[in-house]
Amino acid sequence: MTAGAPPPILEAVDVGYCYPGGTPTQALEGLSLEIADGEFVALLGPVGCGKTTLLRIFAGFLQPAKGRVRCSGASIDGPGWQRGYVLQEEAIFPWMTVRQNVEFGLLAKGLEPDDRGKVSDELLELIGLTAFADAYPRELSTGMSKMVEVVRVLATDPSILLLDEPFGALDAQTRQRMQDALAQLWAQRRKTVLFVTHDAEEALYLADRVLVLSPRPGRVKATFAVEIPRPRSLDTRFSPEFLALKRQIWAAAGLEGRFIR
Amino acid sequence: MSWTRVRRAVIGLVAASVLYVLAAELGRGRLPDRIWLGAHYVENVQLLPTWRSLLEEGTFLIQSNILVESVVVSTRRVVLGLLLGSIAGILLGLLTGAASRLEALADPWVTFFRFTPALALLPLYVVWFGYGESSKVLLIATNVAVITFLGAHHGVRGVPRVYLDAAAALGADRWLQFRKVILPAAFPSILASIRVATGLAWVTIVVAELINAQMPSLGYLLALAGAYPRVPNMLIGLATVGALVLVFDLLALLLHAWGTRWMERAA
Repeated sequence: MTAGAPPPILEAVDVGYCYPGGTPTQALEGLSLEIADGEFVALLGPVGCGKTTLLRIFAGFLQPAKGRVRCSGASIDGPGWQRGYVLQEEAIFPWMTVRQNVEFGLLAKGLEPDDRGKVSDELLELIGLTAFADAYPRELSTGMSKMVEVVRVLATDPSILLLDEPFGALDAQTRQRMQDALAQLWAQRRKTVLFVTHDAEEALYLADRVLVLSPRPGRVKATFAVEIPRPRSLDTRFSPEFLALKRQIWAAAGLEGRFIR
Repeated sequence: MSWTRVRRAVIGLVAASVLYVLAAELGRGRLPDRIWLGAHYVENVQLLPTWRSLLEEGTFLIQSNILVESVVVSTRRVVLGLLLGSIAGILLGLLTGAASRLEALADPWVTFFRFTPALALLPLYVVWFGYGESSKVLLIATNVAVITFLGAHHGVRGVPRVYLDAAAALGADRWLQFRKVILPAAFPSILASIRVATGLAWVTIVVAELINAQMPSLGYLLALAGAYPRVPNMLIGLATVGALVLVFDLLALLLHAWGTRWMERAA
């Protein structure tokens, strides 16, 4: 980073975290990363490498035991709408209509109903759910309710989105559809995104930069810049550059050859 | 609730009534009409009253206004007890559910009252609250409060962590989280407990109305029928309480269905 440049929007310096208990688990150790404004970064790592822990630290639900985390230069000391956090679990409120879900953050901000309505109208239009505005989430598919969760945090206009394996529970086909929906949303709303996944292809398809985490305790093992032009499509997934990068990432993640030997 | 279910419920009721009428007709003249009641014989007891004698007795009870007035008086007590008990129980339950220190304080008392039968509390309530309406209403309220307390408490406790996290991440303060997340998420559990409490309130009223027992009241109607004994009166009294329980349960069920309309319906 050159002198005088704005501070990274999200920053972790030498972060360590250990879950206490009978057998203390060192989830993160010496993890550092920086995310620039408007960047789409994917955090790739095996199950249990501390991805979710890191995201919960950024979201403000956990305090790092070591090191520090900052958002736009300010330290993070609790959850807040400025960092739009989409949990790994399904967390859409089933007792609220789709619209009420999307407007919840605005309600918390104290916006008037009319102003809330404008924002939710626009966002629901963007993900093609206008017709479901007054339906309860039980009528949505798993993929669509995840998209509602994404726009629910978008509604408050946060400076960064923290997405924790949003499409982890979906089948491959729906997953690809949702990835396209997210990419489209991102193209229109150029937000900074930190996207956690264990799927290399997903990381590559969506991100500008892929960070590969090591197994527990997690730290950044390798970084890949993804200079594949957007909008990406099904053809992208089969393009030579995509596949070459995918192979490199697999190698970095230590996946290559594992099943052969 | 579908019409099929309503139809089946009606068929069940009608079938049981028809069976009873048949049994009563069969028993007429065959069943003993003189029974030994511990210290003496009672004559002219109809063990299974026929539909004619039920009709006769019922007509008398209705024309003399005893039954209608009893229903009005007892219903009023049940409704009051339900309202008071639910409000107290739900408020306490929400409070202890949200604050774990209070939970430990309330815990033994809940267990204590949960298994204390109304009949055992009755003398105490008479001494404390007198012979009037208050002891009857409060006895019902106590029983209702314990059940609704548990419903509200466990409802709040059972709210999945993810919803609270999601709400906090969206910038909701504790009060908004309580109103928009904890309360609606606990609603099904609270409403289910209200339904149980509604049934229990009608069980309790029969006991509560033994306090300074007098007409008109369903409890005394039953007690009096037992003292004579007059089986037709007992059956009419039981059927009336039963019908009121059904009506109240239906109301509680509708409330429950309204409060949980966002949930997925099990087929």
